[in-house]
Amino acid sequence: MRIPCPYCGSRDIGEFVYRGDASPVRPAADGAEAAMFAYVYLRDNPMGRHEEHWYHTQGCRNWLVVTRDTLTHEIPSARLAAPLNAGDAV
Amino acid sequence: MGDGLEISEVTGLGLVAVMARKGVGAEAIGQRLGLAPGLAAPATPHWVGDGALALIGTGPGSWLARSEAPTAEWAETVIERLAGLASATDVSASYRVFRLSGGDAARLLQRGAFVDLATPAFAPGSVAVTVIAHIGVIIRQIDETSFDVSVFRSLGESFHHWLTTAAATL
Amino acid sequence: MSRLASGGLIDRTRRLRFTWDGKALEGYHGDTLASALLANDVRLVARSFKYHRPRGILTAGAEEPNALVTLGSGAHADPNTPATTVPLTDGLVATSQNRWPSLRHDVMAVNQFASPIFVAGFYYKTFMWPKKAWEKLYEPLIRRAAGLGALSGLPDPDSYDREHAFCDLLVIGGGPAGLSAALAAGRAGLRVILADDGLEPGGWLLSCRDTIAGQTASNWARIAVAELGIMANVRVLPHTTIFGIYDGCEYAGVQHLGAGQPEPGQPRQRLWKIIASRALLATGAMERPIIFGGNDRPGVMMASAASSYVNHFAVAPGRRAVVFTATDSGWQTARDLIGAGVEVAAVVDPRGGGVPVDMAGIRRVRGLVRDVRGSAVRGADIATPDGKVERIDCDLVAMSGGWNPAIGLAAHLGQKPVWSEAIQSFLPGALPPGLAAIGAASGQFALGAILAQAHGAAAALAETLGAGGHAGEPSVAEDEACGVAPCWHVAGARTKAFVDFQHDVTDADVALAAREGYVSVEHMKRYTTLGMATDQGRTGQLNGHALLAAATGKTVAEAGTIRARPPAQPVAIGVLAGHHRDEAFRPARLAPSHGWATALGASFTDAGQWKRAQWYAQPHESDWLETVNREVLATRNAVGFCDVSTLGKIDVLGPDAGALLDRLYINTFSTLAVGKARYGVMLREDGMVMDDGTTTRFAEDNFFLTTTTANAARVLQHIDFARSVLWPDLDVQATSTTEHWATFSVAGPQSRALLADLLPEIDLSNAALPYMGARRFRWNGISARIYRLSFSGELAYEISVPADHGPALAQALHEAGATPYGTEALGVMRIEKGHPAGNELNGQTTAADLGFGRMMAKKKDFIGKVMAQRPGLTDPARPALVGLKPVDRAQRIRAGAHLLPVGAKPVAANDQGHVTSACFSPTLGHAIALGLLAHGPSRHGEQVVVHDPVRGADVLAEVCDPVFVDPEGVRLRG
Repeated sequence: MRIPCPYCGSRDIGEFVYRGDASPVRPAADGAEAAMFAYVYLRDNPMGRHEEHWYHTQGCRNWLVVTRDTLTHEIPSARLAAPLNAGDAV
Repeated sequence: MGDGLEISEVTGLGLVAVMARKGVGAEAIGQRLGLAPGLAAPATPHWVGDGALALIGTGPGSWLARSEAPTAEWAETVIERLAGLASATDVSASYRVFRLSGGDAARLLQRGAFVDLATPAFAPGSVAVTVIAHIGVIIRQIDETSFDVSVFRSLGESFHHWLTTAAATL
Repeated sequence: MSRLASGGLIDRTRRLRFTWDGKALEGYHGDTLASALLANDVRLVARSFKYHRPRGILTAGAEEPNALVTLGSGAHADPNTPATTVPLTDGLVATSQNRWPSLRHDVMAVNQFASPIFVAGFYYKTFMWPKKAWEKLYEPLIRRAAGLGALSGLPDPDSYDREHAFCDLLVIGGGPAGLSAALAAGRAGLRVILADDGLEPGGWLLSCRDTIAGQTASNWARIAVAELGIMANVRVLPHTTIFGIYDGCEYAGVQHLGAGQPEPGQPRQRLWKIIASRALLATGAMERPIIFGGNDRPGVMMASAASSYVNHFAVAPGRRAVVFTATDSGWQTARDLIGAGVEVAAVVDPRGGGVPVDMAGIRRVRGLVRDVRGSAVRGADIATPDGKVERIDCDLVAMSGGWNPAIGLAAHLGQKPVWSEAIQSFLPGALPPGLAAIGAASGQFALGAILAQAHGAAAALAETLGAGGHAGEPSVAEDEACGVAPCWHVAGARTKAFVDFQHDVTDADVALAAREGYVSVEHMKRYTTLGMATDQGRTGQLNGHALLAAATGKTVAEAGTIRARPPAQPVAIGVLAGHHRDEAFRPARLAPSHGWATALGASFTDAGQWKRAQWYAQPHESDWLETVNREVLATRNAVGFCDVSTLGKIDVLGPDAGALLDRLYINTFSTLAVGKARYGVMLREDGMVMDDGTTTRFAEDNFFLTTTTANAARVLQHIDFARSVLWPDLDVQATSTTEHWATFSVAGPQSRALLADLLPEIDLSNAALPYMGARRFRWNGISARIYRLSFSGELAYEISVPADHGPALAQALHEAGATPYGTEALGVMRIEKGHPAGNELNGQTTAADLGFGRMMAKKKDFIGKVMAQRPGLTDPARPALVGLKPVDRAQRIRAGAHLLPVGAKPVAANDQGHVTSACFSPTLGHAIALGLLAHGPSRHGEQVVVHDPVRGADVLAEVCDPVFVDPEGVRLRG
């Protein structure tokens, strides 16, 4: 399997570390325990397109948001999780 | 193919990891470091510059500044010069750098690296941060037949073992 | 000898000698082991798996189920190799398998008379009870009776390597379709890889008598390969099997190097990983047998194999043949045999019809071969539609039941094949992304049509992919007849009729499976083991499915076929491992002082990938404990030093560096003064401790963070996640500097004096460099750092220099009189000081469990803060860090032992925790330990039982403070 790293190009999956669903957002400080519990533990298991966090640990060391089809493993796109600086368009 | 292979080690390098601050672009960093006029720090996995100063792209907004004959203060000078534009730190001793030259160099590297190293995907000026034999590497193509491969110092012996084992079967 | 006087593609000028079961034989260059054996009239080559029936050579390709042999001897022995795929080399040593005491006299052959216990599912039925008898009695018995070749048990003397490739088009298979496609794509300018699993590309073209563009087919193939060979954009991989298709258009293959025998210093096989935008499946088709009595006897052969032996290898596989065919291609075999001077006694075809004009005089029988007679074929009983049975003498039965496209690869990503009534077999349905089938793999069997279709497919791809060149014109050939009638099974056989030759599965086994309810092909496969041998049922599987369909009243299309999975061919583990074996199994990280320590005679231990000096034994020391005790006492009483460069080091830089660290650690770093260090603990978001270490501030925007050796990469990943995903608004940068610095801990009451001599430029007084202070300085002109940190509890410093200067610093410290100590002494001193390390940071402990509860800041958010406050994580009954001392000071405590109340029964319900770290403390003169004990901090002074049922008796221990030495910290502030 290959992941199209926006900076490095197409790379073998072995260069990456998988984290999981990219959609949960960390609750703000002093948030309720229930919200934090949901953020830490509760995950959907969708069939089809899924946005996931992957870390390019053996490449550019960026966290990516990778769109993957959980049914076909097709990876149509990947983007950097953090916003880029001006002039660093990739 | 098959013009042989020469493997040597490049020592005495000055290396500084450069990471742009928020909102600072590649051009400003290139200018501040005094690259040739109009030459930006590369925004893609490429390198620019010469032996006195080269900038090697290792990620978005991150580079290795490289000098072949650094003075004792070179790294500190680079870090100071970038103040306010980029965070930077001396990593001169972090890497062992192997130079592979000859017609078989690309073939040997392709035995190890699972990235396309053939032209036009990869050419002089290209850089790839990737893995060879489970060891993280920075491959930098210098000209048609020569490459620098940088590995973390602690892994130098293991990488050298792979180099010599794989080269023996070319 | 059965070698024909002329013809074939063998080189009669190059004689090769080889041995078969010790007997010296000869063949020619260009032979396979199988063709050479046939040429020497060796017909019996193996004994079958279960019944030890005599078996001969069935096929001429990789699908061979019977002729499995062991190549080489000693460490080089390579078992279970199909003789049909082995290129003959001079000096080849081959032996038969699964026979005892010899191939001709196999005492185990009695199995076939005892066959009722070997029916389908016999493993499940016969050996269910008693359970113990399975291990002691049945399994060894079965393994001896039913087995394949044996591994040598010695290290593999051969080497393997790997290569990666990228292309626009991968052509899988170098037969007519593959060559035609590769030529078109190559001429058009695509980057092409052609992988062919044969000893020489060409596939069926090397075995047929057709002509292409006025050339013999084999000549055309050789010219095509030569043309491909000079195209710079085409790479031909001969003798390379593509064995798997993976996600992302990734193809894996194994190339066999050196034509069967590796050249000196060269690898035996090479693993290929290929990324191909597009691929064409040109794997051809495999002829399928017909199920009749004795269809496994030596002398029964696939018709196409008979043609191959005659045309390609110039070997007559028999003297008098019966051709049993339901296909038009079987008639071509009859022609080939006649052309080679083999008498064709009859062509038996279930279809009606006459004899082709060019075969006038050949007898055609409308009927079926019901049984063959003889241990090796001596005759065949032919059943005709009028119910009569005629016996015809022969020594060869060439059978052709139809052609199965070789489409296993096309199903590797889960796609299901679809039934084709026209070819009476399955074809690829949906295909993996980027893959298309051409030639026989797509159900196209006529040569002229194959060449045109493959060329067209490749030319169209070239256009789609934007290749600039011209694909040229396809070569022209005649279209031969390729009709087929369904013919799976001959009813009424008097003898065993085999479906899966390699696993000895018969028609009766399939019928039994159906009767017992195994009516899905996947269940029947597992119940009967049909298709589960090393040949994966290439020849017999579909026949089994057809039988099951018939037995359950379904069509073959309805019964379906099993899911094919990678690898498509058996793959040696060695080639997957490549160079990564023995010492190079995984990369080793060497600390800066490694070479220096090696010269000093250090012993090393693995810490992840790192090799760390464990201790530095001196010649007079008799065991490691004596060495470690000396190293600890030297440090506590004078001065010692240790390479601690393996700890993770991360520069956290930028205006918001302090803010980020506040969110990463339970305690506060933004208030840390420049030039000072602070110990910190970070949690995972679920509230458990992730890592700990000291962080030093060198400037407002410059923090230097350390991690444990084990967690260095994980912490950097965590920091990158925090700064790019959680808080991308923070202006903070981070990079690893682990590899840049060689760091030595210099510890002991004399450390200051020693360093004052060594580093006269630095003021080491308490005022200038107090405990937890840090400074940058220059050592011999190079940048260096000194930190007043202590892990040992002694007055101690850590000194860092660029890693390439590490050996020089180690040498200088040693020469100045410091005693080098290793990780074992380091561990003893940290246990004496009650510092948690990897054994305590086990992913299940909270900050409070480890005694850091009060470090948790109340006024700021940090990762793990909310979850750490859950009731289950703040329960005072949670096992928490304590020290343990044996009440009888002569006794020993071991890590891993459990802690029980005194007098309690040793059952899980009474378990109150466990010992995490233990050692002998030379400072105190007795054993000490750290443990996690329920209500631990409030139980100092109590006694508990240290229960260690695995390694020895219980030990009574006293619970105490985890800091055994200098609890007030006087020494380290000294």
